[in-house]
Amino acid sequence: MSQEQRLTRRDVLKLAGLGGAVAAVLSGCGPTAKYVRRQPYYDMPEYARPGASVYFATTCRECPAGCGLVVRTVEGRAIKIEGNPNHPVNKGATCARGQAALETLYNPDRAKGPTRQGKPITWDEAITALADLLQNTPPESMAFLLGLAPDHLAELVYEITQALGAPPPLRVGALAFMEARNTLAGAAERVFGTKALPTFDIADADLVLSFGANFMETWLSPVYYGKAYGAMRRGRPGRRGILVHFEPRMSMTAANADLWLPIKPGTEGLVAQALGYLVAEAMGREPGEGLFQVDPAQIAQQAEVSLEKLEKVARYIANEAEKVVAIPGGVALGQSNGFAIAQAVLSLNALFQELGKETGVFFTPPVNGEAPLAPATLADIQDLIGRMQAGKVKVLFVHGVNPVYEFPPSWGFAEALKKVGTVVSFASFVDETAAQAHLHLPDHTFLESWGYQRVQVGADRETLSAFQPVVVPVFDTKATADVLLAAVQQVGGALAEAVPYKNEVEFIQKKVAALRERTDGIYAHPHPQVFWNLFLQHGGWWTEQSQKELARGSVLNVQVGEADFDQGDLYLVVFPHPILAEGASANNPWLQETPDPTTTVMWNTWVEVHPETAARLGLQNDDVVEIASPYGAIQAVVYVYPGIRPDTLAVPMGQGHTALGRWARGRGANPLALLGPEANGASDPAFARVRVRVRRLGTRRQLARKENVVGVYGDGRYEPVEAKAESGMKE
Amino acid sequence: MQETTLPAELHERVEELREEHLLLDPRPREEMNRMVLEAMEDVNREYIIVMTILGLVTAVTLFGAWGYLMSKGLGLAGIRRPIYWGLFIVSFVFWIGISHAGTFVSAILRVFKAEFRRPFTRAAELMTTFALAGAGLYPLIHLGRTWRFYWMIPYPNQRWLWPNFRSPLVWDFLAINTYLLGSTMYLFLPLIPDLAMARDKSKGWRKVLYTILSFGWRGTEEEWRHLQKAIQIFAWAIIPVMFSVHTIVSWDFAVAMKLGWHSTIFGPYFIVGAILSGISAVGFILYMIRISVKNMRYFIRPEHFDALGKLLLIISMGWAYFFFNEFLLEWYGGEHTVQEILRYYTTGDMAPVWWTMVICNILIPWLVLWNKNWRRKPWVMALMGIIVNIGMYAERYVIVVGALSRNRIPFDWGWYKPSLVEISIALGTFTLFFFLYGLASRLIPLIPVWEVEEGHHAHGLKRIGKGVVKTVAELE
Amino acid sequence: MAEMDPQHTKWVMVIDLDRCNGCGACVTACAMENNVAFTGEEENAYGRGMHWLRIVRYWVGEWPNVQVRFMPMLCQQCSNAPCEPVCPVFATMHSEAQELNIQVYNRCIGTRYCANNCPYIARTFNWFDYEWPEPLNFHLNPDVTVRRRGIMEKCTFCIQRIRAAEEEARMEGRPVRDGEVQPACAQACPTEAIVFGNWQDPNSKVRELAESQRGFRFLEELGTEPKVIYLSSQKHEF
Repeated sequence: MSQEQRLTRRDVLKLAGLGGAVAAVLSGCGPTAKYVRRQPYYDMPEYARPGASVYFATTCRECPAGCGLVVRTVEGRAIKIEGNPNHPVNKGATCARGQAALETLYNPDRAKGPTRQGKPITWDEAITALADLLQNTPPESMAFLLGLAPDHLAELVYEITQALGAPPPLRVGALAFMEARNTLAGAAERVFGTKALPTFDIADADLVLSFGANFMETWLSPVYYGKAYGAMRRGRPGRRGILVHFEPRMSMTAANADLWLPIKPGTEGLVAQALGYLVAEAMGREPGEGLFQVDPAQIAQQAEVSLEKLEKVARYIANEAEKVVAIPGGVALGQSNGFAIAQAVLSLNALFQELGKETGVFFTPPVNGEAPLAPATLADIQDLIGRMQAGKVKVLFVHGVNPVYEFPPSWGFAEALKKVGTVVSFASFVDETAAQAHLHLPDHTFLESWGYQRVQVGADRETLSAFQPVVVPVFDTKATADVLLAAVQQVGGALAEAVPYKNEVEFIQKKVAALRERTDGIYAHPHPQVFWNLFLQHGGWWTEQSQKELARGSVLNVQVGEADFDQGDLYLVVFPHPILAEGASANNPWLQETPDPTTTVMWNTWVEVHPETAARLGLQNDDVVEIASPYGAIQAVVYVYPGIRPDTLAVPMGQGHTALGRWARGRGANPLALLGPEANGASDPAFARVRVRVRRLGTRRQLARKENVVGVYGDGRYEPVEAKAESGMKE
Repeated sequence: MQETTLPAELHERVEELREEHLLLDPRPREEMNRMVLEAMEDVNREYIIVMTILGLVTAVTLFGAWGYLMSKGLGLAGIRRPIYWGLFIVSFVFWIGISHAGTFVSAILRVFKAEFRRPFTRAAELMTTFALAGAGLYPLIHLGRTWRFYWMIPYPNQRWLWPNFRSPLVWDFLAINTYLLGSTMYLFLPLIPDLAMARDKSKGWRKVLYTILSFGWRGTEEEWRHLQKAIQIFAWAIIPVMFSVHTIVSWDFAVAMKLGWHSTIFGPYFIVGAILSGISAVGFILYMIRISVKNMRYFIRPEHFDALGKLLLIISMGWAYFFFNEFLLEWYGGEHTVQEILRYYTTGDMAPVWWTMVICNILIPWLVLWNKNWRRKPWVMALMGIIVNIGMYAERYVIVVGALSRNRIPFDWGWYKPSLVEISIALGTFTLFFFLYGLASRLIPLIPVWEVEEGHHAHGLKRIGKGVVKTVAELE
Repeated sequence: MAEMDPQHTKWVMVIDLDRCNGCGACVTACAMENNVAFTGEEENAYGRGMHWLRIVRYWVGEWPNVQVRFMPMLCQQCSNAPCEPVCPVFATMHSEAQELNIQVYNRCIGTRYCANNCPYIARTFNWFDYEWPEPLNFHLNPDVTVRRRGIMEKCTFCIQRIRAAEEEARMEGRPVRDGEVQPACAQACPTEAIVFGNWQDPNSKVRELAESQRGFRFLEELGTEPKVIYLSSQKHEF
């Protein structure tokens, strides 16, 4: 195109524009028109530029681990979640759940706006109603249930409850008690003297002993452990770390182990002590020198594990390994003696230290020494449920957790909820709890939110991970912190003075203000606004240097004893689904569509049955069975699983929703229905103590598997289901 | 015709031979013309009812289902990962196989001067055309985006792109089109004198139609000479085309890197299989014509079924040879996945289909066709036509679906169940075939009268001693 | 980098099976980056999942010495690809510049021959028009075509990211740096099992890793010359 032509065309456009302007003036286009300066949009903000990507650093809130994210947005839409490469926890990686979080954000089944008794209201009405509740409810009959994330909200609510004189918020969640966070922290206090969640430094370990810890799936900080696992395997030339895993079923972590020992449930602590004994023996210590007073042969027999294998592992530790880490977790801590097991396993680390080995337990230092609010203990939860049951709770506020779904029904939460005068839910979805709430004031999802999360596990330095909105809110939702603060201001008076924040951002800015003093951060700036921008830009604040300090512990000679079990035929392992975890994001279709690593099952709940057990009970793949414990019963589909003890069944969590959305509702079963209310010797539930009976129902349902049954198991031809369904288990 | 010279005492024997052999039982040309025309114009009530039903069923099961499939997506078919081809390709190969009969019966038997072919070359050629019409639909039906099928045609286009001539599917496309064109012309050439005959003897719209179709044939010596020449050329030329078509269809499979498909024997194996199903289908068609079309008992006689039966037996043996050869060598090779494929065929889920194939293609023909009395019974040959075609359908099913069900990654094996839409479309092509055939039976002379007459002239009886022998005069 | 020809790249992927823990982050990441449709329970039960990348899980040994091996399986981007010659319309073809097997969606007519001929079963077919109910469609990546029914798709090695990096490098007048291009799976992978890079770059990480004695290519004996190199996992035996 020649220059002249282009000029001509531009002139035409100018004339057209002039014509338009003249027409606008002549037609008397209102007085405001002259204040509008019309100019070409040549200097668009980058987020509006077609085709250009803008990246925002934020933090993942799909689980409480606090991984740093960088979200790619194009023209105001979040397109892709990537890991923040500089973040101390996940160092650029993400898990499947984090990847699918965009479907949490753009989920069509999200709550679209505030409702009262299911009817839409305006936010002004909602805030007035909330202010009314805050003002007119006796403080002692208020209760706050919060999730394990985000921390800033928990701290704000804590301040509000303090100002009101109400009981402090309880932080709860199915993941928290399946991870036995309190138990672990309690045991760490006893062995290492620090009451916090320990991080296990497996990255440069030569041998890792995992007692039930499913640390590569969902446990505490899976992406951190994933990174560390990769480094342990092939991160050091010539040195390859070995993983030995003790668990009744082949979890994904067990599947990666060099040696998986399917020990009898409840014997984890004994095996840990036996192993300690054997290592000490192999290193020439006399038995009885402050070591565990155990008989390895007898324990091996009790745990139904090969003594020879244990001895081989012990010899390897004694002779070849320099750095050994023992991790307690998962199903081991859910035993009735879970607290003792945690201590025994942590003591193993201390023992290795004593034997001159290196171990790797460290604690993530809290930012400026401010530890996040710990999760509620089982006793706290039961106390609350008791008060609710007794009608002493008039108003219950729920955020970040879905207790109707996440608490085992045997705890009686759902019934107790009916006795609460007003239930206020802040859930982003109409989940099981929100469905029963009187007021539903949906919060943003985390990709639309401000906030921070205090990293407790995985980071080797003080880490405050920041949330910032990457897109404008998709629906008519409002940040819970803002809603609460608005209500507080409406109440006014002493409360408003005690909680003097205008909005969420101001609260967060005040909370992070102290960090401006710090000079050891990855950035430092005295000016509040500049600091704030840096804070958002980096996705949080953490120190420049590693503060990793390996903890030294003392060997505890705990009496582990025998684990107690309920009546029943088969042990039951309830485990967080490796992809869906506890199921809060079960309405994300791609999370449902991501196959479970070991079974490759998608979209449903399966029950893992050992082939021998299946043959004994007459069960085949895809048979629907009823699993009954003393506390309840569920139906699940049989998956004949080669990697589980013959006396054990395993059922994943995550499904069995009765609400939440089209992809979650009415799908599979929630195995929490099988669990009882007992504790594990500390402050978490003993979810592994139930035993169950299984009964074939005579119907079948094909599980959606990525694998092919014929190809993998050699036989996929289903024999016809016999009419007589009552061929369940004989007692 | 030498019958006048035969003495009266041999009359009984002569009658016997005449009853047996069409070519020894001459009737005046006029009468034969009348018989054929009568058959064509015999549009009675039953015919209309049957044709209406066939037409409606085809419209619904074939075109209705196809439209539904196109509007919703190929997921309505039962195919899945890793079995990406199912009943559509099975049916495609099947119909291509059927189409071989016309060429085989007509061209090869013509070239080798097999005289029994004379009355039913037309019937077989029609079968070719209509089977190809059915087969030709499948490559379109099975496409994910049928509306883009023309991208396989080599023509200058705005995409600046030729089709990929390395792809067997393009070879397929070209071969099928060539075969369709060639066989249609080959059908049409011998039809011209008969159309001219029909033109001369009919009235109304038929007159107009046949006037157009007969290209002004007058029956001059020059015309006959040209026609004979053209038929000769086509008869020779269509044979390699026929061989290439089914070889190319077999290459769809054989050139693939798929165990169970990648076999050097597939070319001839498929050709023999095609001829087997085609010949047996001719038996069935002749039976149907004999019983349902007027005056056809004169033209189609047990001797023809007998001859077809012998041919079928030989071809069944040939097929068994290739089948055995293919199976034995694959089995002997001992490759893991191939072993599994063979296990899957013989004792796995595919076993019912596989054994159906063996029983229908080998066992039953071999037990039945050795017996002349059975061969001569038209209904037996019709039944054989059905049985062998079931066997051949099963063979294609085993090859297409069975081999795809197993691959080198056991994690990704699969199983397949045809969906209702697929079955409906597959059945729809059968009704389409019969509908077209039924239509043709009333529009064009089903019997090449001039060829039969030619046979009459060439064949005769002669007395030698006390016996009577058949004589054949060389025509060319 | 002197001997490197910036006009010619050969993208390869190294997957360390000893690092891979099978967690599935790559599967989801791939789907989110590439607008891969989800198909639901019934379709998946019937083998119609659209996963471009799947983790093949092997069982090894008998109870109680059962072990598991994971193997991420995706399009191997064969140099001598069986899928390419069989496509009648050049919808699947070789890109000269990147040495990749590319799938041209709008050229595909859906014969599915390529999928039959792929020994890695790496291709998936759009059986229906799959939907992302609003506003779920907001997260669709504008750099990747959303496929309609009747066409074939497969792993592209995130060619949109390769192209973006190539263009940026060209603007800056330099070759693409090692590690600059990361497909979604490699980027998400928590264990760093997946490494991606240019084979033509002699100093690249992939070259270094591929020299490992653990390296192998899957079904190499077929002569497909895959561009995914696996490093075998070697478990310690007790």
